Amino acid sequence: MNGAQHILDAFHRHNIQTVFGYPGGCIMPLYDALVDDVRVEHVLCRHEQGCALAADGYARASGRLGVCIATSGPGATNLITGVANAHRDSIPMLVITGQVPSALIGTDAFQETDVLGMTLGIVKHSYLIESAAELPEILEEAMDLAQNGRPGPVWIDIPKDLLLDDVTATPMTTQAQPNATCPDLESAIALLRAARKPLLYSGGGISLAHAEESFRAFAECSAMPAVVTLKGIGNSGKNSAHNLGMLGMHGSRAANRAVDECDLLLVIGARLDDRATGKLDGFAPNARTIHIDADAAEFNKLRSAEVALRGDLNTILGELTHSLRETPLAINDWRKQCQAWRTTGGFQAADNEEPLAPITGPAFISQLSRTTPEDTIIACDVGQHQMWVAQHYQFDHPRHHLTSGGLGTMGFGLPAAIGAQFANRDSTVINVTGDGSFMMNAQELATVRRYNLPVKLIIMDNQCLGMVRQQQELFYNNRESQINLDDNPDFVAMARAFDIPALKIDRTDQVRRGIETILAYSGPMLLHVAIAREENVWPIVKPGGSNKEMIDETRRTAADKKEMTA
Amino acid sequence: MKVESSHKTSNYTITCRMNHEAAALERLCQVVRIRGFRIAKMAVETADGALDIALTIQGTRPVAMLQSQLEKLHTVAEVKLAAPVVAAATRIA
Repeated sequence: MNGAQHILDAFHRHNIQTVFGYPGGCIMPLYDALVDDVRVEHVLCRHEQGCALAADGYARASGRLGVCIATSGPGATNLITGVANAHRDSIPMLVITGQVPSALIGTDAFQETDVLGMTLGIVKHSYLIESAAELPEILEEAMDLAQNGRPGPVWIDIPKDLLLDDVTATPMTTQAQPNATCPDLESAIALLRAARKPLLYSGGGISLAHAEESFRAFAECSAMPAVVTLKGIGNSGKNSAHNLGMLGMHGSRAANRAVDECDLLLVIGARLDDRATGKLDGFAPNARTIHIDADAAEFNKLRSAEVALRGDLNTILGELTHSLRETPLAINDWRKQCQAWRTTGGFQAADNEEPLAPITGPAFISQLSRTTPEDTIIACDVGQHQMWVAQHYQFDHPRHHLTSGGLGTMGFGLPAAIGAQFANRDSTVINVTGDGSFMMNAQELATVRRYNLPVKLIIMDNQCLGMVRQQQELFYNNRESQINLDDNPDFVAMARAFDIPALKIDRTDQVRRGIETILAYSGPMLLHVAIAREENVWPIVKPGGSNKEMIDETRRTAADKKEMTA
Repeated sequence: MKVESSHKTSNYTITCRMNHEAAALERLCQVVRIRGFRIAKMAVETADGALDIALTIQGTRPVAMLQSQLEKLHTVAEVKLAAPVVAAATRIA
């Protein structure tokens, strides 16, 4: 068995059934081995970035390891954005690249790049294989490392000659992870009991730790008011009575108000990202903090915690739930206050009763949320549509909401939807995108067509880079710069060129029928939704500003009027 | 409470033991740089397949943050922080 065959054998042993890749010179031994191996399904994307982002979407939607493969040089460099995306959102991913033969490394050989050197900052770990003998052990270690602790991408760069060398495969065992210990659990419980206004603040770490059930048990038992980060959307389920929604730059007024007023923040699986906290000086000014995470490096990084608990979230949440079941928290007044804020300061999309009126983003997403089946997975891109989805789509599970949180990668959505569809063959998977983001990885329409994936594509087209335009309008004196996309191609014709049916809507009375049409179609279908260029995402906090200084449309209009009359 | 750093630059000495693998030193130096420190002095020795590295670094951010990021590296076995040469500029607000 050579190195390439050993890799495929390891995939099989680890129940890795689907990988995303693109062949080329130095990875050809692995593709040659694929010819004789039917155990692994290889998905050929049309760009290596598409491979990495599809592997990312596969991992997010399934909770399993995503695998992508590319050749050396440009193959590897094209992977980088996708791998960085996975790194920023702690997605378990195995990246395998071919490298020029060992003897040619450092000679500026054809398609040689220093992959190990250029990727150090975007991986959990990386390896350059230096002998075929070390490949089996490194492969096992890499798969284990990518998935355990705080997950992340692990990259193995393998010179072509070593893929062809004989490998003696010996059964490998990985070291069991030590059980989590919670030395400060009593301190955390004491702080919780002492608080009068505790607030549950959860993020993407809940699903990364496969702790959704433990979290909901705790949230229900504690009945604490709760806010979520962008990646934590869905943690509480859509029927939670205590969920105030997303906090932060485009968060709900209710969520940001609760953070401002609380006296204890219980942060679980979140890293206090600047988009969530706004200006740190003004963030939760009256609160003590309990921070629970798998990664100790997140403790005290941006905010000092009175109690920090590192370990398996299932274990910790189980212990906390057990404690609160015995004696519930006495916070009824706080709950009522937060409920009142939720009523007046939650996300509300106004339905336009005028049938010929233009389509608005929030109303469209609300209708989408009401129309789609329960198991629908939404893969977003980045921009205004991403925030409208976060605000107005009711997610029942965090794995149903795939969004590029940390890196903010335009072009994420379509390949992520492809990966999610491979992971969940029977689920409805929808890529909600903008006209800017869609064009970043539009070549993957060919992948959708090749595998006849029933992915639905919704392009919310405002003929510009809407989020950039919005910030230029609000914070750069309306000086628009390089945001105009009014020369977009005809998206319906473009989809049809890939043999994907498509239709366009631009009026309110077409929304429901348009959504129902694409959902009813058995294969892939694209819905082109024309929306107004001037539409903004509300509310918004100025970048670098405090979450207390949220701007909404009314205030903006009032300020404009004042300025005009001054 | 927000973790703050003053603008005062402090010097710290860190010793680190890590696997002697490809790009080991680059990996270490990359983390030091991106987390806001400059390397003023560096000494490396090899022993038993490992690298023993002594770093004198300068920066304004809390050095404990750098220490925890270095400890996260898969091939780092141990990180020790010596007392700062200049009184630590970190405070908890």
